[in-house]
This record gives sequence, structure tokens and C-alpha cells, in this order.
Amino acid sequence: MSAAASSTALGSYFQSFIDSALAWVKSLFFKQEMELTLVGLQNSGKTTLVNVIATGGFSEDMIPTVGFNMRKVTKGKVTIKLWDLGGQPRFRSMWERYCRGVNAIVYVVDSADAENIAASKTELHELVTKPALEGIPTLVLGNKNDLPEALSVDELIDKLNLKSLTNREVCCYSISAKNSVNIDITLEWLMKHTSTAR
Amino acid sequence: MAQSSSGASDMAQQGAQWLQGLKETAMSMTQREKKDEDEGYSPFHGLQKSAVLQECRCFNDREINARRCITILTKILWLLSQGDKLTRLETTEVFFGVTKLLQAKDQQLRRLIYLVLKELKPSPEEVIIVVATLTKDMNSKMDLYRANAIRVLGAIIAATDPTLLAQIERHLKQALVDRNCFVAASALVSGIHLMHVNGEVVRRWVNEVQTALQSDNQSVQYHALALLHQIKRQDRLAISKVVASLTRTPLKSALAQCLLIRFAKKVMEEDPSGETRDRALFDYLEASLRHKSDMVIYEAASAICSLTNVTQRELSPAITVLQLFLCSAKPCLRFSAVRTLNKVAMVHPIAVTPCNMDMEGLINDGNRSIATLAITTLLKTGSESGVERLMKQITSFMSEIADEFKIVVVDAIRAMCLKFPQKHRVLMTFLSNVLREEGGFAYKKAIVDTILIVIGKVPEAKEAGLAHLCEFIEDCEFTLLSTQILHLLGMQGPSTQDPAKYIRFIYNRVVLENATVRASAVSALAKFGIQLNYLRPSIILLLQRCLFDNDDEVRDRATFLVALLKGIEGGGVGIGGLNARQLLMEPLGLPLHAIEISCKEYLAKPSDVPFTLANVTVAPEMLQKERKAAATKAATAAAADNPTTARAAPERHVEAEADLLSKLPQFVHLGQRFSSSKRAALSESGTEYEVSCLKHVYSSHLLLQFSVNNTLEDQLLENVTVAVDVSSTPGLAFESELPCSAVPFGQPGDTFCCLRRVEGLPIGSFGCTLKFLVKDVDPAKGMPEEDETGYDDEYHLEELEIAAADFMKRVPVVDFREAWDTIGGGCEVVETFSLSYNSLKQAMDAVIDYLGMQICENTGNPAESARTHTVLLSGVFLGGVQVFAIVNLRTDSAKSVGMRLTVRSAEMGISQFVASSVA
Repeated sequence: MSAAASSTALGSYFQSFIDSALAWVKSLFFKQEMELTLVGLQNSGKTTLVNVIATGGFSEDMIPTVGFNMRKVTKGKVTIKLWDLGGQPRFRSMWERYCRGVNAIVYVVDSADAENIAASKTELHELVTKPALEGIPTLVLGNKNDLPEALSVDELIDKLNLKSLTNREVCCYSISAKNSVNIDITLEWLMKHTSTAR
Repeated sequence: MAQSSSGASDMAQQGAQWLQGLKETAMSMTQREKKDEDEGYSPFHGLQKSAVLQECRCFNDREINARRCITILTKILWLLSQGDKLTRLETTEVFFGVTKLLQAKDQQLRRLIYLVLKELKPSPEEVIIVVATLTKDMNSKMDLYRANAIRVLGAIIAATDPTLLAQIERHLKQALVDRNCFVAASALVSGIHLMHVNGEVVRRWVNEVQTALQSDNQSVQYHALALLHQIKRQDRLAISKVVASLTRTPLKSALAQCLLIRFAKKVMEEDPSGETRDRALFDYLEASLRHKSDMVIYEAASAICSLTNVTQRELSPAITVLQLFLCSAKPCLRFSAVRTLNKVAMVHPIAVTPCNMDMEGLINDGNRSIATLAITTLLKTGSESGVERLMKQITSFMSEIADEFKIVVVDAIRAMCLKFPQKHRVLMTFLSNVLREEGGFAYKKAIVDTILIVIGKVPEAKEAGLAHLCEFIEDCEFTLLSTQILHLLGMQGPSTQDPAKYIRFIYNRVVLENATVRASAVSALAKFGIQLNYLRPSIILLLQRCLFDNDDEVRDRATFLVALLKGIEGGGVGIGGLNARQLLMEPLGLPLHAIEISCKEYLAKPSDVPFTLANVTVAPEMLQKERKAAATKAATAAAADNPTTARAAPERHVEAEADLLSKLPQFVHLGQRFSSSKRAALSESGTEYEVSCLKHVYSSHLLLQFSVNNTLEDQLLENVTVAVDVSSTPGLAFESELPCSAVPFGQPGDTFCCLRRVEGLPIGSFGCTLKFLVKDVDPAKGMPEEDETGYDDEYHLEELEIAAADFMKRVPVVDFREAWDTIGGGCEVVETFSLSYNSLKQAMDAVIDYLGMQICENTGNPAESARTHTVLLSGVFLGGVQVFAIVNLRTDSAKSVGMRLTVRSAEMGISQFVASSVA
């Protein structure tokens, strides 16, 4: 009698173990995680973009990021880890460390700031030619396309000399974090690269 | 190893199994080490830095394993706390790894991250990467995050970019008054650190800090008080207001109370009114002696004991509580009490005497530091009758303590020996006993130094002391001590009752010791030979045996000394104008370098006249060099923390330097210097050119030495002289001057002016003008342009005064009364004066200054309340005439002091001159 009772208890233990194992296996298939790094010159709208992706809210007055912000955002089945790095010159040498091993690098450009487009190009090319970052898919976003003087996608590709970046997947969109323009296609591109985990 | 194997053979009888086990242990060294490791309580023992750094790679993993990371961070902290240094590169790697961990939500991990960020000390350029994250944490809902983030952020801002403070000021201000005490204390501590880098911002938080001061939490109150003090540090008045108000409303925190006691003491010490003590604050200190916390009681007692000019009455309550502490069960209380009492005993031995019984009990204390302090305190406070008993106790105690403690005890014995000279026999015996025991160099040196000082101060102790030292060098392994003692024997031995008995001890050294000791033994022998005629032939015989020594120095010395001693026998005059005694027994008055140059010149142009030291001259440049060398020597002496020699050295040096002045080629004719005045400033400090003057008096000349300091960075002064207008002072005539060729910025130079006394004793003041050629200098280069010609300029100086005191030398006499009576009243002058001074002491100091004479028989300290006082003075007047004076002072009213001055000397003229100098 007592032997039978103990076997049932053992059985229920076994059952719960199988359940939890199943849940874990399911999570492997249905819940995915990805890691992104946002870089770009200061005042290009990186932190704003993160806020828009995370909460959908836009705030006009932002303070410069001193260092980095780390955010986790869940979109549907995917959890996205975002490393939002400061764009001031003193942080640029540190970008590379936070780009290693991520699923994708998101490079944000202020497409309305014609003066700094050249500097932006230099920084981008310097970053992606680092050996440790070889082959990581890169998404270039021309932000602030709500402003009249903003460059178009083609102009951006040309000015940033994106054509010269081979051996990796490079994509360029023109977006507006303020008006949530093209945020959906940005997310779509990012989701696509979830499975390409290295 | 040997021990354990011998242990193993003992065990062999007790069973084969045991033997087996022990053999295994004994055979394998590595195994044994491993065993030790297991026994030790630290799980990190033997941790390798490289292995830990390897593990750090997992910080970059996509999925963070919190447990594993916690272990690794703990290991890093352990390594850092053990003093392991990470290289720049390693620090960078670890730091960026740790920043990746900031994504984890685990609380325990987060806490360790904060710690590591602070302990790692990453470079300022890198560390700012975490500022944004920490700012976010500072506003977190978790108290733990808020408090820690504030601390780390405060440290980062203080170390990197103080301007960042403005961004987070608002949050910090809120945190100061946070309900959570950990958060508030963290903000206060950060404020203390930030005060140093960005004081303006922190000063704006005064209201919040005041609020925090009212907190019920111990830590918050303590830190709030510390920060408040920092903020108001500059404003003495504000501080004393804060302290006064806080002392009326007792603080809850014992720590804060201790801090307040310190501040209160500081306020009392810095009180500008000085004379009277702030009663209210002192009452507060005294009330704190009855606090319930030991810490506060001790702080108050130690504060009272260290007050300047503390009186016996003020001390006694503090001493009473310290006495209670002496019997406490806690070693910490006993130690602090005895340490404070030890300090008090230096100034107020009588106040500490009531504790003597308790301290004698502490001599056998298990804690050797406490025992040593108790002994040394007893040595300072003990009465003369107790010396024997005390020494007996110490003798048994000495063998148990380490060398550094022994040195402390020996130092205390030295002080005691000087206090009770009659007891020198007991103390000397003790010293000679400890000298024979084992000990290191520093300890032995302390003993020898003590004996040397005692011999110097207590003449009766000389013979016994020398005998002990002779015995000591028979078996002394320290060359330095041997040579020091041999030198002393040479100086002191010949004047003892039986000098011959030292010869054997000294000659033994020549036979048995190393070359350095042999050389000094040879010199010591010769000193006996020079001073004692009857020993000279034997000494020459002994020295002749050293002529074939295999060391050059010993041989050279022996050869020289034999020649010198034989010269005395033959009635010779010595070498270079000095006789044998002067050569060996007196210090050389000239720099060796100067003699060397003179010798070279003489050899280059030999003459029939023999070379004498009297002809050696010193160049002004060499004088400068000598001074610099002496200054560095004094500085090193001061650095060696030897206050007595450090203070004496500059004085002695000034004397020696003044003696060299008459060796300057221009001033050779002045002859022997009589006296030198104190340095008198002729311009205020901080002006363009700082000038001060030293007056040197010679038999018929007055040499003025002007030191000029150029404080203008953009000027070079050349051909600097001081023009002295002596037209208004009869009896003085200008003779010559020696300009200073160049005075660059910050390097003082000397220019001289020589005046001849035509007749009488000229007194008065005369105008001085600094004259020079200015060249403009580019401060960046420090040199004037090539083609710069410069221009002549003058600078007016204050008047220089020549007073009677300048012709007087301070020379004490041993027995004033006898000297006074011997000289007789033949040339006595009596004068009475009414002086307008507020106190007797002021009047006395002024009169002594006017006369420039030495106080005799310790009459220079009138009792505080005395209305009359008598000072005995003696001195030697220019020309070598002894002068004595008795000064009777009497307080007439609050504003005036009456004085009767009686002067006696061998010449009426001089007595009159001296007496009139006060008027």
C-alpha cells in the first residue's frame, strides 16, 4: 500500500520534470532572442529610436547619452536586447566592444545634417572594417526624414558609400522616429535576422 | 620538513597505518601544501590571476549565468584585496566585461558589479561609459540600487569630470533626505568626496544636509555632520556657531558625537581671543566624559589631554576616566588609555602619577604594546625613590619584547637618567646589561647613544660609562658603533683619572678588527699621545707597529700620527700653522675644498714661506655651495625625524659660515670675528626684492652681509650692491664693498659692505639703498636676451640700526654671584628707568634684547603673578671685557614697569655705555 503511494509520488515528480523540459524545448522554438547595437554620431536619434521601438512614445527634449543605455524589448515572440551607445567622440572608440557578437549593428544617421554626413561616413567605415565585426549584418537608418532638407535613401547610399561595403548584408532605410515612419519595415528587417544567430 | 619526518618516526611505534599515512604526507611536498590549503578557511587560497581573467570571458556570453559570474566577481575582488595588480589592458578587458553584466537583473550580481566598478579603478576615459546606466539606477525603485549607484557615480565624477555633477545634482539633493538611511548616507559620503572637486555645487546642499543631521540613523547623522563641517570649513565663525548649537542638543549617534568633540576642540584651539578658553565648549567636553559609549568617553578624554596649555585642574577628570579604562577587560581600551597617558606624561607627569599603581599592573599585560607603553609612562612619571624597583621589573620584561619596543624603553630610560642624575649608577648598570644581550643594530645604537648622552650630561657617570663601552667594543659586531665609541674614547679618555687603562682596549682593536675600526683605533691612540706627555713614548711604540698594516688608510694614519707625535717630542710646531693638538682635537674651520685649491695654487707657485691655513681664502661661490650643502644636510636630518639635531644644525652652520667670511679674499684683513647679530629684515616679505641683513662685528670693522632675494620672475639683477649712508653716524667710515654679480629669480645672493670703526662705539641708524642693474627675462626661458643691456635701478630699504647689543656676545657664567663679587664695584653704574610695557615679561624680554646679554642661573622665567623680578645677565663686550648686569623689575601700574639696572665690568667706559643702551 505504502509502496504504491510512493510510486505515484515518484510518477508525479517525473511528470513535472517532463513538463518543464517540454516548456523549455517549446521556448526554443517559439520564443527567440536577439541582440542589437545602436551606434551613430551624437544627436542622430538613437535613444529616441529605442524609446519609439520600446514604448511608441516620442519625446522632444532628450539629454545626450553619457555611456550606454541597455534596454530589453519584447516584440511578439522575440525579445530584443538593445545596446544604445553614446555618440560623442569620447565614446566612439568603445563602440566596437559592444558590437562584437551581436545579431545586427544598427547605424543611425541624421539625414538632415549635411555638415556631419562625411564624419558619419568615416566612423561607419572605420567601425565595420574591424576584423572582430566581420560579416555582421548592418542596417543603416537615415533618421529625421520628416525634415525638409533630409536626404533620400539613394542620396544616403551614395554619400555614405554603402556600395563599397561588401562581404556582409547592408541595408538602408529612411525613417522618422518622430512620426513613426518606416519603423515597421525596420522591425521587420530586424526580425528577419533573429535566426541568423552566429 | 625535518620536523614532520622525525614526528613520523615517533609515530612508527603506534601502528603501521599511522606510519603509512604520515610517511606519505612527509614524502610529498606538494601534497602537504594541498593539505594546508584545505585547512585554511579561504576557498580562494592559491588563486591564479590569469585563470580568473580567463574565466571573465563568460561575461560576454549571450546568456548570463548569474551564479557563475558572482563567483568570478568575488574572485576578482579577492585578488584586488590581496594586492594583486591588474595591468592597464587587463583592467580594460575586465571592466568592459563587467559593463555587459549590467543587463542582468540578478540583485546579488548587481551588488557585486557596483563593488567591482569602484575597486577596479578603470581609466577615466573608459569609466564614463557606465554613467548613463548608473544615473538610471540612481532613480530606481530599489533602495539597494539607488544607494550603490550614488556611491559609484560619486566616485566616478570625483575621479573624472566634475562638471557631470550638474546633471545629477537634482537627484543627489533628493537622496540626501531619502527615507532610506543607506541611500541618504551614500549621498552624504559622495558629497564629502565631491566637495574636493566641485565645492560650489556641494555648498548649495546645506539645507538638505542640515535636515539629514536631524536623522535618527547613526550613520546618516555622522556623515551629515562630517559634510556640514566640510561645507563650512572656510568660515571659522560659522563652524563655531554650528558646534556651539550642536553641543547644546546632544546627538544620538556616538560617531557623530566623537566628530563633534574633535570639531569643538579645534574651535577652542583656533579661538582668536586665545587667552581665555571657551567655558561652554570645555564643559561640553567634560560632560562627554560621562557619556554611555566608551568611544565618546575616550574621544573626550583624549581631546582634553591634547588641549594646548591645559592645566592640572582641567586634566584631572579626563585622567580619572582613563584610569578606569586601564583596568578594563578590553585590550583596545587599555591600549588607548595608556597611550594617551603616555603622551600626557611628557608634559604633565604629576597629573598621571595617580595612575601609576594601575600601570604597574599593566607591565605584565599579555599585549606587549600595552606593556611597553605602561613601562615608558612609568619611567616618565616615576619618582626618584621608585627607580630601583622599576628597573628590576623592566629587566625581566626586556627579554620578552621585540627590538623596536626595546628602543622605546631605552629612549624613556635616557629621559629618566637626565631627570634623576643621581640615579645614574642603577641606570648605567641596566644599560650595560642590556648592551651585552642579543640585539639588532638599531637597538644597540639606541643604547650606545643613550650612554653617550648620559656621559655628556652627567659628568659623574663618565668613568663607569666609558668602562661599559670599552667592554662592549671587545665584542661588537657593528663597525659604525665601534668607530663611534673609539672616537669618544679618544676625546674623553685622556681627561679621566687613569687614562692608561683604556689603551689596552683600544690597542686590542688594532690587533683584532677590520680596517675601518683599526683606522679609528689608531686615531684614538694618537689623541692620548698628544694630550698626555707620560704616555707619549709608549703610544709612539704602539703606533709604529701599525706602520706595516696591510690597509692603506691605517698605514697612512699611523705614519702621519707617528710623525706628529715625534714632532711634539722634538718641539716641532705642527703642520700648516696649526699645532698637533689643534689638528687632532678641534674641528677644521675651513672647507676641505678651499684648502685643496689653496694647496694646488701653492704647489703651482712654490715660495720660501711655508704654507699655512691662515692664508687660505674662500671664494664667494664656494660660500654659496657650502650653504646649499648644509641646507640639504639639515633637510635630511629633519627628514630623519631627529628634532634636536635638525634644530641645532642650522644655528651651528650660521656660526661656521660667519667664521668663513674673513676668509673671503677681500676681507682677510678683518681678523677674527667677534660676534654676529640676528638676521634683521630691511624690507617686508612679499615685496619685489626681499633684503635682510646680518651684522658681523670684528675688532675694528663692521661687516654687513645683505641677503637679497629677487621675487620677480621676469627680472635678472646684476651687480647688486647696498649703498649705506653713514654720514649721519660719526665714528663709522665706509671702507669697501663686495657686489653680488647676479641675483636671478628665486635664488638669493649675498652682497657685502665693510665699514671701519674710526673711533668709539658708533650707535645709530642709517639709510640703505639697494642698487642694481636690471635685465628683463622671459620667464619661459629663464634667461635674458643676448643683446639686453639692462638699466640701473634703485630700491629703497628700511633703515639699518646698530645698537649696543651688536657689540656684546652672549656668554654665560657658571656662578654668577661669585663672578659678580670678584669683579667688584669699582666700575659699577646704576640707572633707574620707567618702561611702558604691559607686563613684566614683555619688559624683561625687551631689556635683554637691548643689552644682548645671556640670562644666568635660569632667572629668565618670572612667575606669572609676580609683581617684582630679578634677572641676572652676563656677556662679553667687544675686546673681550666681561660685563655683568642685574636687572630689578617692578610692576608700577598696568601700563608701566619700573627698572633698576646695575652694570659691572672691568672698565668704567664700557659699564656706562652698556647702562645707557637701554635708554
